[in-house]
Amino acid sequence: MSLRLLILMLVAMAGRIVSGADTTAAPEAPAGMVAVPAGEHRPLFVLPNEPKTIPVARFALDKFPVTNGDFLEFVSANPRWRRSAVKRLFADQNYLKHWSGDLKLNDAAQTNQPVVWISWFAAKAFAQWKGKRLPTVAEWEYVAAASPTRVDGDKDPEFQRALRHWYSTPSPSELPRVGAGLPNCFGIFDLHGLVWEWTSDFNSSIMTGDARGDTGLDRQLFCGAGSAGAKDTANFPAFMRYGFRSSLKAAYTIHNLGFRCAKDL
Amino acid sequence: MLLPVLLTLTLLGCAHSSTNKTGKTGTETPPCCREVTPGAPLPDQSLYQLDSKWTSDHWRIIRLAALQGQPQVMAMMFTSCEFACPIIVNDMKRIADALPPEIRDKVNFTLISFDHERDTPEKLLAFRKRMGLPMAGWTLLRGEADDVRELAALLGVNYRKDARGQYAHSNTLTVLSPTGEIVHQQIGLNQSPDETVQQLLTLFRE
Repeated sequence: MSLRLLILMLVAMAGRIVSGADTTAAPEAPAGMVAVPAGEHRPLFVLPNEPKTIPVARFALDKFPVTNGDFLEFVSANPRWRRSAVKRLFADQNYLKHWSGDLKLNDAAQTNQPVVWISWFAAKAFAQWKGKRLPTVAEWEYVAAASPTRVDGDKDPEFQRALRHWYSTPSPSELPRVGAGLPNCFGIFDLHGLVWEWTSDFNSSIMTGDARGDTGLDRQLFCGAGSAGAKDTANFPAFMRYGFRSSLKAAYTIHNLGFRCAKDL
Repeated sequence: MLLPVLLTLTLLGCAHSSTNKTGKTGTETPPCCREVTPGAPLPDQSLYQLDSKWTSDHWRIIRLAALQGQPQVMAMMFTSCEFACPIIVNDMKRIADALPPEIRDKVNFTLISFDHERDTPEKLLAFRKRMGLPMAGWTLLRGEADDVRELAALLGVNYRKDARGQYAHSNTLTVLSPTGEIVHQQIGLNQSPDETVQQLLTLFRE
């Protein structure tokens, strides 16, 4: 069985090497990332006269969330992102509070657990350091909509049940390691069931708490979208993610909020 | 005393942009990971710690730190905006008009565009003229997509581009202290200028 798998992989790799000679071949994803084919994201809320879907171009996404081990390398190489050095503008006072020191994890188990207690700025800096970027909401949601067996995971009842279970269960105090669950059909792990994840444009939802202070005229222009209705009111996890992103500020650090990186292909 | 600081910052900005043009950026450390240049220490919450570069309607390339030394009233907008942006500029003008003249001259008003694609310095200059904004005391800036997103995150402004290329955005006026800390925010359009004016006066009493 494993031998057959190995042969299959070798055949697939050989195929890639051959196709690599072809200048028209699509670029491969870097190590640790998965090439996600072009697709589309159906936003929960759309503005009046807006199309119902957002196209997503082919891109690469990290297979796993960034771990404490990965992040330790980053802060070792970049002193300004260490716990004792980071500016409050870029991360609140809880930044990396689960580590035991600037360059010391609390225990060995943390190495393979997803990094949490990091701000959007820190996540973005890590991505930049790696020559990558954070995924957009559209990219993240498109990939996260896929179940282990199909791209349109909303048509997979078993997947939907598992999602509702996770989104209604508090995070455990000790996070599991990354990659312990099933990958989705793109081969990407832990989009649900482990931690929430930062996106590059988390601050793109325009129905925020700020709208309370807006005038009637403003509401007419922008917040009318609220009554335009969600595409799928049964999509409870998507509502939760939407609400969660809307409540974030870029310097916030949270016990169950991590990230992974994306890259253009 | 501030003038040398401003000049240095401007020069730094220009010098930097010229290296960009000669294409020597290949080995440059990305902004995330550059060591912070030692200089006058800024408060921990100062927006002037941002490394991003912005271009004014007069093609001046600056870091936001070039704005330090004066209180700022800052808002984000885009020039092809049909509705909310002229109102937010009017809100700023009302604040300017409500300030005593000797204070008004010491406050700077800064508008920053969401529209990194269409808002060129020329477009910003046309907007300045259309809105009747004086050359002195008003700064109009454009920046790159990531830098706009970052500044918006710091100012608590949410936005996204819609299918027509217009920007849907929340409306917030922010008062920055001379060292770049957020001291007050006015949320929504057509608000009374009184509270913001009081906050600005407080900065001058301190």
